[in-house]
Amino acid sequence: MKKIKINFILNDTQIIDEVPVNITLLEYLRDYHKLTGTKEGCSKGECGACTVIINNKTYNSCLILIPEIDGKKVLTIEGLSKDDVTPLQNSLIQEGAFQCGFCASGMVMSLTDLLSKNDSPSIEEIRESISGNLCRCTGYKKIVDAVKKISKS
Amino acid sequence: MKEFEYYRAKNLKEALNYSKTFGKNKRFLAGGTDLIVRLKDNLIKEENIIDIQNIEELKGINEVNDEIHIGALTTFSEIIESDLLKKYSPLIVEASKKVGSPQIRNKGTIGGNICNASPAGDSIPPLFCEDAKLFLESSSDSRIVNIEDFFIGPGKTILKDDEILVKIIIKKWKKGESGFFNKLGQRNALTIAIASSCIKIKKSDGRIDDIKIALGSVSPTVVRAKRVENLLKNLKEFNKDELIKICNEVEKEIDPITDVRGSREYRIEVSKYLVFEALNNSLNLRG
Repeated sequence: MKKIKINFILNDTQIIDEVPVNITLLEYLRDYHKLTGTKEGCSKGECGACTVIINNKTYNSCLILIPEIDGKKVLTIEGLSKDDVTPLQNSLIQEGAFQCGFCASGMVMSLTDLLSKNDSPSIEEIRESISGNLCRCTGYKKIVDAVKKISKS
Repeated sequence: MKEFEYYRAKNLKEALNYSKTFGKNKRFLAGGTDLIVRLKDNLIKEENIIDIQNIEELKGINEVNDEIHIGALTTFSEIIESDLLKKYSPLIVEASKKVGSPQIRNKGTIGGNICNASPAGDSIPPLFCEDAKLFLESSSDSRIVNIEDFFIGPGKTILKDDEILVKIIIKKWKKGESGFFNKLGQRNALTIAIASSCIKIKKSDGRIDDIKIALGSVSPTVVRAKRVENLLKNLKEFNKDELIKICNEVEKEIDPITDVRGSREYRIEVSKYLVFEALNNSLNLRG
């Protein structure tokens, strides 16, 4: 199998690696870096459990071939904060927004992206921002509430 | 995932050279939201993947006289955020909002949506209503084709093995034009259309001057409902009963299949309703 050189930023660290071309970013994060916070759900781009932020936009990491990542800046749940949880994560915890937690990292990434662009989102905007993240436990209400609680307005 | 050779094209010329070299035995990687799923499922027989994502010539939304040129690599998010398209081609913007999810819209491209040639491609019905032209290029030639002539069947187009879709050309909206796009799926986000409809109307003096109706997911390709269009053009008064009668004619213009998302019968009934809803909205809308 042909390998390709990649050079990119992963959670503020420069990564230079040589990898097979036919693996996804999701597989690379979990298997090569043991960054297992990013979850594998459907692996078809439908559930959002594998959501990461690349160059300030959200993507399903299961739908990105590793060669595509060359030169980019990737942020995963592990890179959100060094020591403590972020205010968003804290609010989600306080609200009891998750039950099984499988969707949590993807939700947090989508909501982090939303709040970085809009610090006072409406309920509609919050719901839209997580429309690509499936949660089968909570019915989304507490997730939306948690975001509303820390939004500026 | 299936094994393949990966090539990254730096510019259009390089992509066209790869295209010429590999002919049938290659797939272009644009947004990859469909291709990568298919690679995982071992549904891709081609052995060479040509990544075209870094090609600047395939990007951007530009105003050229009375036209808007949309680069094939333009993502749905870029379309939704485009002030030019919001102003001059709002139907494409509305349809793009219905594509997948934020994550998918950040990756999926309009060129990929067109070249996949799914009858359920969300961006295609509005492009039919806009009479979009597709600019295709090979290493030796280029040509412009009407979007309606591009599709042959599900997943099948007239794109030659050595050609690439460079951009989509649409005419700017003029005064008096309005339109409506609606998509029926099992849910709002992340859904493949059971049926969709798009209409564009030009009215003057209370009469329909021109109308285009396109339907998605109810035939082997997206189709125009030309018979219904003609009936509407001759209409002097718009009352609900008359419109319902005309919308029933939609049945004669489509040939849906039964699949996991819906039966043929359901799709026929729902198509009539989608066209009625679109008309009802458009005739009450600005124009």
